[in-house]
Amino acid sequence: MAASLTGLLKPWTPRVLLVRWSRYNPYYLEPEPRKEVYHIPETELTPEQKEERELKSVRPIKAATNSVTSSVFNDPVLSKFVNMMMKDGDKIIAKGIITQTLENMKRKQVEKYHKAPEGKKAEIECNPYAIFHQALENCKPVIGLASIQKGGKFYQVPIPLTDNRRRFLAMKWMITECRDNKHRRTLMYEKLSQELLAAFSKEGNVVKRKHELHKMAESNRAYAHYRWW
Amino acid sequence: MAMQGGTALQEKVSRMLSRKHKKPVLKPNKPLVLKDEVANRKIKKGEATCVTEMSMMMACWKQNNFVDTLCSNEMQSFYTCVEKAQIAVKNKSEQHTIGQSGRLQPKQATILLKRYPNLHVEI
Repeated sequence: MAASLTGLLKPWTPRVLLVRWSRYNPYYLEPEPRKEVYHIPETELTPEQKEERELKSVRPIKAATNSVTSSVFNDPVLSKFVNMMMKDGDKIIAKGIITQTLENMKRKQVEKYHKAPEGKKAEIECNPYAIFHQALENCKPVIGLASIQKGGKFYQVPIPLTDNRRRFLAMKWMITECRDNKHRRTLMYEKLSQELLAAFSKEGNVVKRKHELHKMAESNRAYAHYRWW
Repeated sequence: MAMQGGTALQEKVSRMLSRKHKKPVLKPNKPLVLKDEVANRKIKKGEATCVTEMSMMMACWKQNNFVDTLCSNEMQSFYTCVEKAQIAVKNKSEQHTIGQSGRLQPKQATILLKRYPNLHVEI
């Protein structure tokens, strides 16, 4: 009892302290977490890379965030997906769901691999990370719609999207589709693995939603000249 | 020379405000004081970029019933066109901010005026 009381008397500090703020002087440069960049020998650097190295040796660099590591398992796309799935800052649950999803996908693919005839075995993709990336690529829309006002009325105009916007839309569609349109009793990792495997083979509701966006853009192609950029 | 110009302007303004000869030309409801800022200039409205690439891609989609694998060439050309257009826009805006050809940009003029604002309180 005495030990627990003395524990409560100490001032509380969190075990993980934030070093990086989000606002920095624009003079600060971004950190480079990947190890391969530092393993290139001096002779094989291009002039731009040499210039960059020299710049980094004189300029201050921002502190790296907690979610960025130099390990082989660090995937920026996957980290972004985990952050988008996260609710109320609960990263542990979101990361756990994603890990379970990847494991589930691997199990399903390995089962398919073992049941497949000899000729078809090479075509089945078993790496869950590759499946995830390919599925996300298949869900990304090429063209988006913007609401532009002309002459008092609003028209849906087809516009080109930036890469970030396309990635965000693919992830958002995937997550909302899994949250809303599935059976109530299935767990999130099961829903996600089903939807990702479907997107990998270009079926499923998310790919359908992408095609519908493309169809809308195609039907509105007459308004493409209402854009001014 | 600036002072002479200043007094001439003030005389003209007082003549326009006076009721001596005829009706006053100016009837200001606010004090005749300049603001500490300059209005932003409207940049010329450009045209829609990459419309031809987009229309080719859409024609390909219409033919192939929106299957993406068969239209990969058109999609690739569309992406390259979009990238080029973005770089062009960036270069143009950069060129505007740096090269003013003897005049200040409205934003820079505002910053300068804010540094030496009109005094509205007696010091």
